[in-house]
Amino acid sequence: MNYSLVDFFTDPVLRAPTLGSIFMCLSSSLAGVIVVIRKRSLLGESLSHASYPGIALGVTLLASFFSPSSDGFAIAVLFCAFISSLVGMLLIDLLQKRFSVKDDAALCFVLSSFFGLGVLIASRIQTTHALWYKQVQGFLYGQTATMQDIHIVIYAVLLLVTGSLIVLLYRDIQMLIFDKAFGQSIGINFRLVEIVILFLTVLAIVIGIRSVGIVMMAGMLIAPALAARQLTQSLKFTFLISGIIGALSGFLGNYFSVMIPYYLHAEKLSLPTGPMILLVASFICLLALLFAPQKGLITRMMRVVKFRRNCQLENILKALWKDLGRGVTLKEVSSMQNLSLSIALLRIRKLSSKGWLDCTNKRYCLSSSGEVKAREIVRLHRLWELYLVHLGAAKDKVHASAEEMEHVLTPDLEKQLTDLLNDPLKDPHDQPIPHKGGK
Amino acid sequence: MILAANPYRDSDIFQFFGVMLNRLWQLVQGNLSLTDLASDEIQMLVLVGLCFSSALIGAFLVLKKMTMMANALCHTILLGIVIAFILLKPFSLEGGLVSSFLSLKVLIIASLLSGLLTTVLTQILVQVAKVQEDASIGLVFTSLFALGVVLVTLYTKNLHIGTEAIMGNIDALDIDDLSLVGSVALLNLVVFFFFFRGFTTATFDPLFASSIGLPVSWLNYFIMVLTAGTCIAAFRAVGVLLVLTFFVGPPLMARVLTDKLKPLLLLSFVLPAICSIFSVALSRHILVVYQTPISTSGLVVCVFAVMYFLLLLFAPKKGVVNQFFQRKFQKVLPKVG
Repeated sequence: MNYSLVDFFTDPVLRAPTLGSIFMCLSSSLAGVIVVIRKRSLLGESLSHASYPGIALGVTLLASFFSPSSDGFAIAVLFCAFISSLVGMLLIDLLQKRFSVKDDAALCFVLSSFFGLGVLIASRIQTTHALWYKQVQGFLYGQTATMQDIHIVIYAVLLLVTGSLIVLLYRDIQMLIFDKAFGQSIGINFRLVEIVILFLTVLAIVIGIRSVGIVMMAGMLIAPALAARQLTQSLKFTFLISGIIGALSGFLGNYFSVMIPYYLHAEKLSLPTGPMILLVASFICLLALLFAPQKGLITRMMRVVKFRRNCQLENILKALWKDLGRGVTLKEVSSMQNLSLSIALLRIRKLSSKGWLDCTNKRYCLSSSGEVKAREIVRLHRLWELYLVHLGAAKDKVHASAEEMEHVLTPDLEKQLTDLLNDPLKDPHDQPIPHKGGK
Repeated sequence: MILAANPYRDSDIFQFFGVMLNRLWQLVQGNLSLTDLASDEIQMLVLVGLCFSSALIGAFLVLKKMTMMANALCHTILLGIVIAFILLKPFSLEGGLVSSFLSLKVLIIASLLSGLLTTVLTQILVQVAKVQEDASIGLVFTSLFALGVVLVTLYTKNLHIGTEAIMGNIDALDIDDLSLVGSVALLNLVVFFFFFRGFTTATFDPLFASSIGLPVSWLNYFIMVLTAGTCIAAFRAVGVLLVLTFFVGPPLMARVLTDKLKPLLLLSFVLPAICSIFSVALSRHILVVYQTPISTSGLVVCVFAVMYFLLLLFAPKKGVVNQFFQRKFQKVLPKVG
């Protein structure tokens, strides 16, 4: 069937999975912020696997004692998962503290043993209660398609619990992350806060596994939080953005897992929601890693490239200014500045388009506005040299530093240097320091 | 047909070992050839072979604190297998998916691919994009795993293979799996026989190792690829997630008993091998006596865990019980003196 975006929120079959996924991913992405900032992401991986025996046991017990249509099913299973995840946490702690097992080995051991236990328990009902077994398997990769309206309510309440815990404890969490010593001095009980945060993390994991699945839960904790950290420095906005990204990927993942089989004309194919949600989240995270305004990889590289180009432009201007109006050819520019011909041509075009160069008979010289600009650069260069000598550097050693600083100094700094050095007229090598603007 | 002739069919746990010894004796006398191995025996041999491969690698993984990378690798192996399968599809003539999953070319490429992909991507995130290490490991392997699941589902049009990949299906093992596990074990043995010095030096004193010109980072990549190879060998038997226990559990068990590397390596092969054989027998016992089929691979992992906790309690020196009595003893002794 072809569904529109709105159908996902109104259609009686689709709205429970959609809203459910959004709520689940929202809560896990909120808890993820704390986990990621505290560098405990891999704890999330262990705890999500540790919930598997709980799920298997819960389903097995229910299958033995109750009829399959029981309404409390979802809650009972979630409760068992919660307990078993907590037991896993306690075991990790015990191994680390009492038996001094290294933390990564303890995490991995608990992860795989609990998962094995889950497999063992689940295999018990594989042949006897095949339908229930399928339910258990659904938690591996996430399965939202079978959710009903009652689940919306359950997960909304659980989300409310996680959300309000974070809001209530916001200041304590902030202290714990950034300034524990200060927090202790003003009397915050960090043991309690740690326990609540642990509770919160386990709760978020247990909530999330229905949509993302046990195996990929850790990714859902990490990806939105990591993306948010790229985009903002403030903790408040990190929570906010991470939540938005989580909810968005919950929705889109659900959308794709319904629509991709439709586009492929394979309607019987059921794509598990977990991988789709996580792929959307990690795609957003990848975009943030690459293009975030401040920290993005590409943005940072672009800044470097732009700066280098700017340096080359300014060096050409300086060289032309020293050339005293005779004009130079393209070839001379390229050999003087050690640039390839094509790069030199690009730079010269850029300078001409800014109106800083005049061209006569294929020889380039500075225009009047170009001269002003060039004088500024030379002024910065010589001011810096003088400043270094003022600090006590040797005269013959200041040129190299000034070659770099002339591209970096801001007008603000220039003014401060001028004031500090009493508006000097000569640099350490007895060259005149040109005035800003005038001759 | 094999099932019908399975000599272990009706045996509980005591008869199981009786039948096993009897068949061993027949094998020694030459009445039995290697080709009529019963499925229980194949399971035992595969698990023991797995214990052997992973004991060698696991000790170094635990000592170098690389177990989380191993965990990551166990997940990405799924993507490696799918990609290798898709790449090689045009070149292979046989059509069946499962049989192609087994073909050696696919497996070698898969282990190389996933080993390198995981390590390189994580390194890029840490070093170039300046992401913290735990988050980058977690992000890389979960995303690659997700990609693997989606590709498998799209490609085979069902989720069953994906589930089997992480749970394993030990009852479906045959003689080919045994030879695969055997060759991986042999490979690991040869590699560690020749590079043992290098690995130990790089593990215990990486600074010294790099100062005498050992390629430490290449040894790390090497371990990762061997780990991937072992994952592949384990993939049909215990699934990609449970194999982690084979890496982490044995060194931890052995560590309770000894502090020296060579005894540690030996113990981390012997202890889990005993556990594995016992689990296969126990699984058969439960099937025969209680008519309940349970997952042998899940059972193996649980037996490992039980063994580990028994060791923690009762080990000669470091065991909890022993330390408790020693402390009592120390309190008593001064009074006597």
